[in-house]
Amino acid sequence: MIKKQEHVSIDKFIVDRVESVDESILESTDAISAAKRIGLSKHEFKKAAYVQIDYSQVLTAVRKMLEKYGVIVLNTREALRKYSWVKEYYWRVLSPAQDEYMAATEKYSADGYFIYVPPKTKVPFPILTCLLITKDKLGQLLHNIIIVDEDSELHLLTGCSVSHIVNEAIHIGVSEFYVAKNAKLTFTMVHAWSSGIDVRPRTGVIVDEGGRFTSYYIIYSPVKSVQAYPIVYLKRGSRSYNVAIIVGSGKSRYDIGSKIVLMDKESCGEIISRNLAKEESRIIARANLTAKAPNTKGHVECLGLLLSDKANIKAVPELESYVHDTELTHEASIGRIAEEELIYLMSKGFTEEEAKSMIIRGFLSVDAPDLPIQIRKEINKVLNLITKEAKG
Amino acid sequence: MSLLAIKNLTVRVREKTVVSDINFNIKNTGEVHVLMGPNAAGKTSLLATIMGLPGYNIVKGSIYFDSKNITKLPPYERAKLGIALAFQFPPLIKGVRLKDLVKAMLVKYHCSHASLLAKILDVDQLMNRYLFVGFSGGERRRTELYITLIQRPRLLMLDEPDSGVDIDSISKIANAIELYVENVPASILLVTHSGQILSKLKHIDYVHIMNNGRIVYSGYPDEILPLIFKLGYRKTLEKLGIKP
Repeated sequence: MIKKQEHVSIDKFIVDRVESVDESILESTDAISAAKRIGLSKHEFKKAAYVQIDYSQVLTAVRKMLEKYGVIVLNTREALRKYSWVKEYYWRVLSPAQDEYMAATEKYSADGYFIYVPPKTKVPFPILTCLLITKDKLGQLLHNIIIVDEDSELHLLTGCSVSHIVNEAIHIGVSEFYVAKNAKLTFTMVHAWSSGIDVRPRTGVIVDEGGRFTSYYIIYSPVKSVQAYPIVYLKRGSRSYNVAIIVGSGKSRYDIGSKIVLMDKESCGEIISRNLAKEESRIIARANLTAKAPNTKGHVECLGLLLSDKANIKAVPELESYVHDTELTHEASIGRIAEEELIYLMSKGFTEEEAKSMIIRGFLSVDAPDLPIQIRKEINKVLNLITKEAKG
Repeated sequence: MSLLAIKNLTVRVREKTVVSDINFNIKNTGEVHVLMGPNAAGKTSLLATIMGLPGYNIVKGSIYFDSKNITKLPPYERAKLGIALAFQFPPLIKGVRLKDLVKAMLVKYHCSHASLLAKILDVDQLMNRYLFVGFSGGERRRTELYITLIQRPRLLMLDEPDSGVDIDSISKIANAIELYVENVPASILLVTHSGQILSKLKHIDYVHIMNNGRIVYSGYPDEILPLIFKLGYRKTLEKLGIKP
């Protein structure tokens, strides 16, 4: 089992500043192949508003289209330079003192994507961002800030991937999300790494009164190690729904979960995870619901499916309350595909492989509120890809 | 040429013999055969063996379908040939919604009357539910029959479709079976304990009684059903001079 903080030294990786380049970089074979791994065709890839390939950044024409709605998409460093008010959000929910990865990000990089949605604005289509690694020994350190102002709505889809030629790299993505009063943000993230990559996303979210935050995270590739534990702070009457789909393979180590802090009354949180462990993978599925105010509610559902005798899943659901009047519940289970389910489906005309696929696809299907149809389609595409590969 | 021909079939589950030296034929399409008998007589085991379910080990004999020896075929190959089994206790499959299974089956079987069957069996409102999770007895039986009929089988095997269900559900199940056999050239092999469904079916051709893994009686329904319902299995067999 990996420890909660498996140490990876950043010093051995090449860290640089982001440079702005033109869109022709999106034509590179490595970039296209990395995008394909997160379910994006060449055409879809070009629709991204922000693409970062190693340390080259492209702010595409889509950004111009978004300006029409008052939406700002920039590099975080540039946003800090251009707008003084952005400083209020920089390291507000997270702190470089929290761990070495955030400290390194603060030291080396203020690069990443910055997205601001002004009040009373419903962004009419999902914004796509891509963070790709195509060079070996690269340390990709990012600081992303997303602000959805009062009564606004944003659907953000981020894909992180690596091209096949990369043997070793580290990706540290610090992300701070601010969902203002009665605003709505859905954040879907797909990770497709490879067996030499260490990944340390660090995410903090503040959801203001009546706001809604939905997070849908999918990782389906091998990885050397990934450790992520986003924390969501919920204010009065706000909601958070966090889904994680983890498909473990190879000798990869996944330590993934999330925490929701119910700060004020009438806040409500759900953490749902599906963990599928193949080959010799190890998954730790964490979840923590902390109630700090009365009249709050939360649920954790953590399900694991083992497809190999050498794989391992550990579920760590935690419920923590500082008040009497809260309703926190959890369910967790780990098992294998039941033989009677396979036999039943085989009797209906499905081969063993088809029956397994159907059960795996069903296991991985988690519906999440507020996701628009385009994102659901994208998720389905990735889940279908996973199912194809996951029969074990 | 029989649709189904079973020759000298002996089946073991682990070390126990569950079907013993059975010879059985369904000669013509459209025939309705009813299999009755006390608990643990081997009825379900016979159906499971015909379907080719793992765990039912054939130690002797053969099964032919349309003159093709299917004894060693896996269940999905048998399903492709037109054999289908409606389980008495289909398992819970938590992640798979009924509509997902139906969608996959329609791709496989191109069943054009699926919507009509769904209406007759009253399963439309169950489409978004995970398979059999929280289903009532009637919902489970109707859904399982619906799934089985989508396969458009030529041999439809029904394992106690009338057990643990209310009268209304039994009528719906019987209606669906009747409609199916009227439109598709199919034969039925039906296991029932209570016999409740029999009065709802327009015709039954043969009744077989199983006991201790053997078929100990085969005859016409008019001859045997009144006796079974009046006397029960043990006394019926005694009256027929068959050692129970």
